[in-house]
Amino acid sequence: MTSIKLKVNGAPQQVDVDPDTPLLWVLRDHLGMTGTKFGCGIAQCGACTVHINGAATRSCIIPAASADGLDITTIEGLSENGDHPLQALWYELNVPQCGYCQSGILMAAAGLLASNSNPSDADIDAAVSNICRCGTYPRVRAAIHRAAAALRAGGEA
Amino acid sequence: MSDNTANTVVLGRRRFLVTSSVLAGGMLLGMGELARASAQGPWAPDKAAPREISPWIEITAEDEVIIRVPTPEIGNGAMTQIAMNITEELGCDWAKVSVEFSSMHRNHAEGGVYTRGFLPWFGGHGTSEERMQYNLQLGASARERLRAAAAQRWQVPVTEISAENSVLSHAASGRRASYGELAAAAAGINLLVEPALKPQDQWSFLGKATPAKLHIPAVARGEAVFGIDVKVPGMVHAALQQAPLHGGRLKSHKPEAVLKMPGVRAVVVLDPAQTVGTPVEDKSTWGFSTNQLQHGVAVIADHYWQAKKALEALPCEWEGPEGKAWDNSEEIYAATAALHADDPGKVLRESGDVASVTGGRVVEQSYSTPYGENAMMEPLSGTALVTAEGAEVWCPTQDMVQAYWVTIDETGLAPEKVLMHQTLVGGRFGRGTQADEVRVPVAVARAYPGVPVKTIWSREECFAQGRYRTPLNTRFRAVLGEDGYPQAVTSRVCYTGTHPMFHLNLGYDDMPYFTSGIIPNVHMSASNLPVNIMNGAYRGPCYNSHVFTVETFIDECAVAAGIDPLEYRLHLMSQWDKSWSDCLRVAAEKAGWGQQLPAGEGLGIAISNWPAGAMREAGTVLCTAARVAVSKAGKLSVKQVDVSFDCGRVGNADAVRAQIEGATIFGMNTTLNEELMIENGRAADLNFDRYPMLRMGDDLPQINVHFEALSGHPRMNIIGEAGVGPIAPAIGNAIYQATGKRLRSTPFRKHDLSWS
Repeated sequence: MTSIKLKVNGAPQQVDVDPDTPLLWVLRDHLGMTGTKFGCGIAQCGACTVHINGAATRSCIIPAASADGLDITTIEGLSENGDHPLQALWYELNVPQCGYCQSGILMAAAGLLASNSNPSDADIDAAVSNICRCGTYPRVRAAIHRAAAALRAGGEA
Repeated sequence: MSDNTANTVVLGRRRFLVTSSVLAGGMLLGMGELARASAQGPWAPDKAAPREISPWIEITAEDEVIIRVPTPEIGNGAMTQIAMNITEELGCDWAKVSVEFSSMHRNHAEGGVYTRGFLPWFGGHGTSEERMQYNLQLGASARERLRAAAAQRWQVPVTEISAENSVLSHAASGRRASYGELAAAAAGINLLVEPALKPQDQWSFLGKATPAKLHIPAVARGEAVFGIDVKVPGMVHAALQQAPLHGGRLKSHKPEAVLKMPGVRAVVVLDPAQTVGTPVEDKSTWGFSTNQLQHGVAVIADHYWQAKKALEALPCEWEGPEGKAWDNSEEIYAATAALHADDPGKVLRESGDVASVTGGRVVEQSYSTPYGENAMMEPLSGTALVTAEGAEVWCPTQDMVQAYWVTIDETGLAPEKVLMHQTLVGGRFGRGTQADEVRVPVAVARAYPGVPVKTIWSREECFAQGRYRTPLNTRFRAVLGEDGYPQAVTSRVCYTGTHPMFHLNLGYDDMPYFTSGIIPNVHMSASNLPVNIMNGAYRGPCYNSHVFTVETFIDECAVAAGIDPLEYRLHLMSQWDKSWSDCLRVAAEKAGWGQQLPAGEGLGIAISNWPAGAMREAGTVLCTAARVAVSKAGKLSVKQVDVSFDCGRVGNADAVRAQIEGATIFGMNTTLNEELMIENGRAADLNFDRYPMLRMGDDLPQINVHFEALSGHPRMNIIGEAGVGPIAPAIGNAIYQATGKRLRSTPFRKHDLSWS
């Protein structure tokens, strides 16, 4: 057991945990934040994507021991009231099907928009390499472009 | 609902009672509320709510309309569609509608109050005719009772009350009341006569509004509760390994090697001999033969990661199944193909006399598709609490009735002692229809009684213990007449699998080519190679392969006859339901059929129907045209896909569009990428590093969904499966046009497409 300190969605957290426990399971199992999803455990699918110190990162292969001191944003903290432009467009454009992979996709997309307010299709391809078995990709792409336009027009990231 | 549920409260749950009493305002709670309060999710209470209008509909004083559906939400929007159907007749404000998953416990207690119509509890069927009628009637009945309540309160004739947008009003007096204000009164009213339904042409919501799915806001905020997200106070976690060779047994294991590892509580053994069996008549959807417990072990620990690590450290020795353990894909597929010669087969369809047709040009080919894994993004999981007196299960099943009865079968408990709560479902695509994945967590929890246990399959365990896409090998032989069209077709499909119930012939012998009489002599048969490796339902079971085999073969006949493949199909459909020709024409026209394409590009087309190809004005006809470019080096790019379809009418056009887009991409992955390799008797591909999945960067096509071929027939047939069929042959036929190479097996990534 080791004790680590994290900042999660702005709140300080201290967790006693086996040091090799992946950050994903620290969030889900120890902190009860189940918005971040388990998909593959080998950083292939992206369902576990969170922001670490602002950058979209796959949390399933980051051991707790090396997560000490990190500033983490999860889907639950993406916006105050669920009103990030991406979240609003996810509903407006009926993006998800089953929805399971979508928090990871949203976090990857939000990470992209935080650093690039006018992403090209190639930028989206590179930043959002998550797997969606339902095949929502066309709507994901459309929603990211719309969200980028909204942000450029004065919305907040 | 009463003492039987109180019995299921176990010692360890006393403290939840305190929690839930606080949550529920200190009311005396039955088991149903206990569960609801202790593990919050989108599931309905297990007994009647005080002010509900019917078991399906509750309207709160604040005007919220809660609709309780028996249909899981697997991503196809069936949950939302049912709420839309009820809304049409209820006349409520859609913004006030929310949905809960109905209680199978209550369903049993109240004589099947939620399970009406064909496969009513099954995730795919939101709009089947019988259920549509029933749901519309529920809405109409509730509306009429609200009107009657308003008429009573205002002492005016009920005919003068209008009900619209969650408001009741009386024009002459100007009186108005919200549905919520009159819901309690309406709940006490019995109608002497059920109201007639509106004719379809008077619908104001269905077919017009295109709302997003109701669970999306929760998904987008990370608040949606999938099976793996369930939280029950006091819950512990289990990691699972079942016999690596399907049908194998645990020979020995050493629990003492891991019991002292951090957090570990127990090592439990799964043994099918422990299954108690249902104590009453089985009312499950599919029975129990496809969902037997497999031999295995599970480690139970405080946290999942602790359980997983201990499981990996647990010494286990396994022994193979009784009977033959098949070793690898090549061996299996060769034995399957050998059935063409060695097995008499079972005749599926016979007309005319194929032997009487001699001479003429012969087209004869074999086509095959391999094992595949459902690869749903949410790994399998389930949470269960089992005691001697009762069981409570939280699970992401595709079929609530099946999950309920499998729990009964596994525990031997009476149905009234079982509570089951439906969560959201992270995909499944058929993997969640049989509830073997519900039986496992129930068995694990039974071995650790009195404590809620969440069992999670690792991704590797999901792949290793799949119920895979059924491989098949189909041979066709056509004798063409002088006009180039088949005078006789002989065909045999050879399936590979343990479970023949998944060997569906939809999209094979029911295709109009073979049923309409246009080909006068037809003989079609089926064989099966039983193997120990388990197969199951994979989105559009077998249809997803048959459409590839049939529509590639028809294309080969057209080429042999020297006739344009579109014209060829139109002729073969000329004696059949016009919908097929309409779909062909619309997709072809939108795709630019007939235009000159640059070298290395091609356009292919294919058509089918799920699930009723042999019937007129039935099922969903769907036609896909694909345009591809293939580089000389053989790199394939699918540039554009045009889809036309006829499911009769659509209730939510955008939802239908989304399903067809998704099915097209799903089918593309099946076609281009998927082959689960079997090596050393087991799946060799155990995660996404070895099982490629299409991603946004994979040069995906522009997908256009066209509504012009809709016939307007009053059915609203299911839409989720049809689209996974024609995409494979459409791409394959396009590749032939582009390169002259004919692909007769999937996945296409394993073929050399280079040309010069």
